[in-house]
Amino acid sequence: MPPGKNWTMEDFRLDPSRPLYEQFTEQIRTMIAKGELEPGTRLPSVRETASSLRVNPTTVMKTYQELERQALLVTYRGQGTFVTREEAAIDRSRKELARTAVNQLKETAKSLGLTPEQLWALALEE
Amino acid sequence: MGMTKLGRAGAPAIRCDKVEVSIKKKKVLNQVAFEVGAGCLAGLLGPNGAGKSTLLRLLTGLLPPDSGSVELFGAPAGPDRLAEVSFLPDRGQLPVYLSAGEWLGFAARLYPDWSRARERELTAKLEVDPARRIGSMSRGEEARLQLLTCLSREAPLLILDEPFTGVDLLSRERIASAVVGEMADGERTFLIATHDIREMEHLFDSIVLLGDGTVKAAYEVEALRESGRSVESCYREVFA
Repeated sequence: MPPGKNWTMEDFRLDPSRPLYEQFTEQIRTMIAKGELEPGTRLPSVRETASSLRVNPTTVMKTYQELERQALLVTYRGQGTFVTREEAAIDRSRKELARTAVNQLKETAKSLGLTPEQLWALALEE
Repeated sequence: MGMTKLGRAGAPAIRCDKVEVSIKKKKVLNQVAFEVGAGCLAGLLGPNGAGKSTLLRLLTGLLPPDSGSVELFGAPAGPDRLAEVSFLPDRGQLPVYLSAGEWLGFAARLYPDWSRARERELTAKLEVDPARRIGSMSRGEEARLQLLTCLSREAPLLILDEPFTGVDLLSRERIASAVVGEMADGERTFLIATHDIREMEHLFDSIVLLGDGTVKAAYEVEALRESGRSVESCYREVFA
């Protein structure tokens, strides 16, 4: 999402059988971790986002609240909601994403009866 | 504003209990009971012939129930509550010989709760051309004008009957966006009857599934997703 623009549904991949606010939270968190959403970026309001994504405003409100709880977003009264400029919060979220990815790798390894290292080696074999 | 003053504070926007209606000896609604909280966007889902339109006629005061109670904001529904309900009828016909602008001029004088500011904002948002004659509009354009008529009022309860029938994708998206924009302040309640959930699935707070004149199931949508189900899968389970 370029600064000053609204999101569109193309920015997200949604599974209709999982809570929507969870998925928006995860995907916006990833955008912040990757730097696609830069520190200090002003996010569109709840109303604008709900309207452009065509989702219930409550969903967007819960998403923003959850990301604020994770210290990735900050809201200044009367000014709007922004991506945090706190490096530490973004780092924590990057670590979290790395852990999740490694856990998935471990589970795949386990399901094949391998250690993660063996899985890694196997993938690199000619 | 202050349109909800007739009701009890905290009462649901809609409350039906043990509602029964028979038409020509056939039971069209049978022991229908459900609630829609104020500020919610609820879907009334079900196949054609399920009794949706009859139920909406009760809510809008066009038809009294044979028995049971129908309440809006804590007080009985009826013709005297029309000021609180903005209704978009299924296959409603606007006068074909008028332009959109002329029609909106009539509507503004017809409805005491009409907001010219809302009308202007929504005319732009829904991309309605005031100069265009209604008779020469596509189904999608006419549907957008009908929604514009419905949303330009300040009534606290909006009831839309099949707002998407025969409407093209882009019009559907504009309609869905406009509905969301109108509910964001949490002061308006929507009940949208549809058998077509495509553009609306992400919008609903709750759904009521009506089939053969009875409520087959009712869910809070995010709770449904917590249990790994979607609105669509749920619709299939109940009606397939």
